[in-house]
Amino acid sequence: MKRKWVMSGTAVMLMLSVVLGCAKGAGTDKPNEQTSKPASNSAAVDNKDNKKPFEGVTLKAALVGGGSYEKLYESIPKFEQETGAKVQITYKGNFFDLDKKLKIDFASKSDDYDVISNHSSFYSQYVDSLEPLNNLFSADDMKDFTPMILNGGKRDNNLYMIPRLADISVYFYRTDLYNDESNKTKFKQDYGYDLAPPTTLDQFKDQAIFFTKNGKGINGTQFAGKEEALTGRFYELVNAYGGDFFDKDKKVILNQEAGIKAATMLQDLYKAGAMPKGMVNFLWDEVAKNFGNGNVAVYSEWPGWYTWMDDPASTKVAGKFDVVRAPAGPSGVHPGWSGAHGFSVTKSSKNKPAAAALIKFLTSADNMYADSKLGNMPTRQSVWDKVLSDAKASGDARKINFYNVLNTALKEDFRTPPLIKEWIPLSNILYPYLQKIILGSTTPKQGLDDAAKDIEKMMKQSGN
Amino acid sequence: MRKKNVYLSLNYVASYLLMGVFTFPAVWIILTAIRPDKEVNASPPVWIPETVTFDAFAKLFGGNTSTGSIPFHDYFLNTIWIALLSTVFSVMIGTLAGYYFSRHHSKRANAVFLSMMLARAIPGVALSLPLFLVFSKIGVLDKISGLVIAYTALNIPFATWLMQGFFKEISIELDEASFVDGCSMWGSFAKIALPLTLPGLSAAAIFTFLTVWGEFQISSLLARTVASKPFTVGLFDFTTQFTVDWRGMAAMAVVMIIPSTLFVIVAQKWLIRGLTFGASK
Amino acid sequence: MKAEASLADRQYVLKESVFDSLRASKWLFAVVFVAPALIFLTLVVVIPMLYSFYLSFTNFNLVLKINKEFVGLDNYVALLSDSTFLLSLLRTIVFMTLAVNLELLLGLLVAQLLAKPMKGEGFLRTALMVPMMMPPILIGFQFKWFFNDQVGLVNNLIYAVTGQTTQIPWLIDAVLGFISILTAEIWMGTPFIAIILLAGMLSLPKEPFEAADIDGATRFQKFYYITRPLLAPYMLIALAIRSLDISKAYDLVKIMTGGGPAQRTELIWTYVTRLSMVDSKFALGCAMSFVSVAISFVFTVYIYKQLVAARR
Repeated sequence: MKRKWVMSGTAVMLMLSVVLGCAKGAGTDKPNEQTSKPASNSAAVDNKDNKKPFEGVTLKAALVGGGSYEKLYESIPKFEQETGAKVQITYKGNFFDLDKKLKIDFASKSDDYDVISNHSSFYSQYVDSLEPLNNLFSADDMKDFTPMILNGGKRDNNLYMIPRLADISVYFYRTDLYNDESNKTKFKQDYGYDLAPPTTLDQFKDQAIFFTKNGKGINGTQFAGKEEALTGRFYELVNAYGGDFFDKDKKVILNQEAGIKAATMLQDLYKAGAMPKGMVNFLWDEVAKNFGNGNVAVYSEWPGWYTWMDDPASTKVAGKFDVVRAPAGPSGVHPGWSGAHGFSVTKSSKNKPAAAALIKFLTSADNMYADSKLGNMPTRQSVWDKVLSDAKASGDARKINFYNVLNTALKEDFRTPPLIKEWIPLSNILYPYLQKIILGSTTPKQGLDDAAKDIEKMMKQSGN
Repeated sequence: MRKKNVYLSLNYVASYLLMGVFTFPAVWIILTAIRPDKEVNASPPVWIPETVTFDAFAKLFGGNTSTGSIPFHDYFLNTIWIALLSTVFSVMIGTLAGYYFSRHHSKRANAVFLSMMLARAIPGVALSLPLFLVFSKIGVLDKISGLVIAYTALNIPFATWLMQGFFKEISIELDEASFVDGCSMWGSFAKIALPLTLPGLSAAAIFTFLTVWGEFQISSLLARTVASKPFTVGLFDFTTQFTVDWRGMAAMAVVMIIPSTLFVIVAQKWLIRGLTFGASK
Repeated sequence: MKAEASLADRQYVLKESVFDSLRASKWLFAVVFVAPALIFLTLVVVIPMLYSFYLSFTNFNLVLKINKEFVGLDNYVALLSDSTFLLSLLRTIVFMTLAVNLELLLGLLVAQLLAKPMKGEGFLRTALMVPMMMPPILIGFQFKWFFNDQVGLVNNLIYAVTGQTTQIPWLIDAVLGFISILTAEIWMGTPFIAIILLAGMLSLPKEPFEAADIDGATRFQKFYYITRPLLAPYMLIALAIRSLDISKAYDLVKIMTGGGPAQRTELIWTYVTRLSMVDSKFALGCAMSFVSVAISFVFTVYIYKQLVAARR
């Protein structure tokens, strides 16, 4: 009898000890192990110089990855060397995945990172969990940033996001197709005006359909077809058709005339085969690759892709494309859905000054200038000026055109989506309806009416 | 006789064709991992890589969190710990319970047994919602321990089911003989039954290990950062803002397939026996 | 004679004492052996599920900071009027039924093929286990690529064979998307069933087949009247395990289509996560998750009952 108890007792103890031991191991041991390794390398340096401001601090970050971000992160060891802080990127994904994660983490108070990647379209949702940066960044720190872009990260006079790059789309088009003589004659014949990069959305639609019919296996155009990528594109088209998502009283009006026109255009283009069938599954990556593979004639794209696109090692269209300002709608407005990528500090951070220092480092003029080489639009005036003068000095006509177009777009067309915390929830409701419209399983009017109804309901629930 | 030969060769052709179908995705993953980047999404697809490169693996193994590369080492250790610990616990607990249910057949015992199996039938998504809230309250969200707890519970029913089948194969006479020798109930279990069911034990362990190793529904919600993310969730690190690094993903996938491949090859026989024991009776 | 009797007596007495001790320590036995399992399951499965059940009657929202209020059956009523939910429910039931049946059918076929002694049978049987080695999520990534309409293998094969270059929108069209996901599911599940059935076939007694040969039975007759009934318990085991795992199709859908486009390929499991985590309607998600639990239970109990019946 006794033996049984002893044996089962030890079994339970054994189990418990392993469970507990493991919990400890997961929680504390590992980060230590991680920090100790690289730190020991620079231990000698550390001892000599005790002035490092953030010695022993470990900063955790949940960030966006890919593209120019990877290059940026490769510079982080320099920051670690300078400040003594240790940076751990504990999460990496695209903005859509990051947003889903952040929302849930903040809501359940399980965020345990100091710095996050942020976006002007997203940050409004989590201002409650973000640290206002007014006290962490002096006026001096911020004076170089373009005010318009900086304002994209402000709410009630509090700054929540330091912008790293500004984003506004321009239209990329294939010069080889547009300059092709037979295309030119054929187009003039069919449509009665000269084939040239589109300046209006009507021309854009004509040309997209034209190239679909005449290019072998080419789709005239394409858009990203899901998530906020689709919502945003739709938003700028609605703007161009003279409408908006909300009126002044925050009433949903996206199902009015402009919305229906924009949706109809998307549906028409898809129906005509002028957009790839798989478009509704495309995100930024697929869109860019598709153009890079030479499958598309003209489309709206972020300037950050320019360098990649112009590299013969990565695409088939290197040197064979150019950019133009987004074609205007009947209202005279050019589509200009824009935003800024940036960084924020979480309220839960225990090392806010160190977190702010990391952001200052990541958005420093040096780093931003290096980023701009990859095609990013800098948010510091000084860097932007330098980039423009570099382009002029290069004498490269395409490059000069690229930056001129960007400069115009930035000055004239920069429009962020409504800076409300419901923007992404709105998008999550809207984009499946837009997909339905594009795929032709509902009419533009019906689809938008249904979406508007759901959005109204959501807005009301969220306290508007 | 000729007809039989035709059948046999048809059988050969069909069998090997089928094996092609079943192994192809795995082969393709390996090929993707070692081919040059520009071949990865080429259309039409490139079948045999022109040159072989192990860049993706080098990059993967050299990853660390401060430069933003994929923290492969962390994912690897997380996955191993989670899979090993939850396998050990669930098989241990499942073995005990399995022994009990193999020796008790009252109505009540059967009802308990059935409800345990029902617990296993709960879809991961359904369980992960409340677990997320509970775990965040008790502070094991995004901890290896949390995932171990969840997976242990989830795998207990299956381990119990497998083990009770194995224990049933051991005749009750042996139990009795051990009692005669003065063994207690525990002694009889530990000295007689357990050694005889080692193959079953390993089948249960392997099956649990593989299940946990590849699990995604629950870990995608409970593992939030590099502190606890296993491979299955870490794979999404390759889908970044601008690109999907299919080749890097494939390299990690290859690493993910290796242990399961080894396990399955080594322990095939036990596994099959473990899964089919009851049917032969 | 006398010695034998006394031996039997002694055995009888021994048995009695064994069962006495069994009875005496029954409670202890139960506690030591079953309690860990039950405690674990209660803490990690039962209590959270009860909590989730409670939540499903509230308006709990993960992101909007509204007070948790009791709303009765509102969530369940909302589900009944949600056409996306009803469609995904229907789709899930069709999916489960088709998947399990096709997997069984194909599994039988594969097992039948491999049951013949062949050169390289060891290799063939190991190859059959490859899909079991791959985590479902990897399978999803691979099949997503196979069915990609632009660079995917399937379309490229079709181009090569037919010479046509019309892109077939595998993961876009509602029916084709369903078929693509079903294909991945079948690829994932069939080998497991085949392996178990193969083990069953290899253990079948030879006599009935020899007798049937003498009677001049056809291949089909032999299969239908001998193999099939003898294999029934194996089939049920395979089905039982498969059906417990059927919700793993979540991984496939999540990767291959994300339930889209326009929620055309949503299965109930993916819709649960979309509602609760993306749209942050947590309570509604909980309500829906109970519908998914109910389906799984019905499915499992049905198969388990048959399993028990077959084992007797």
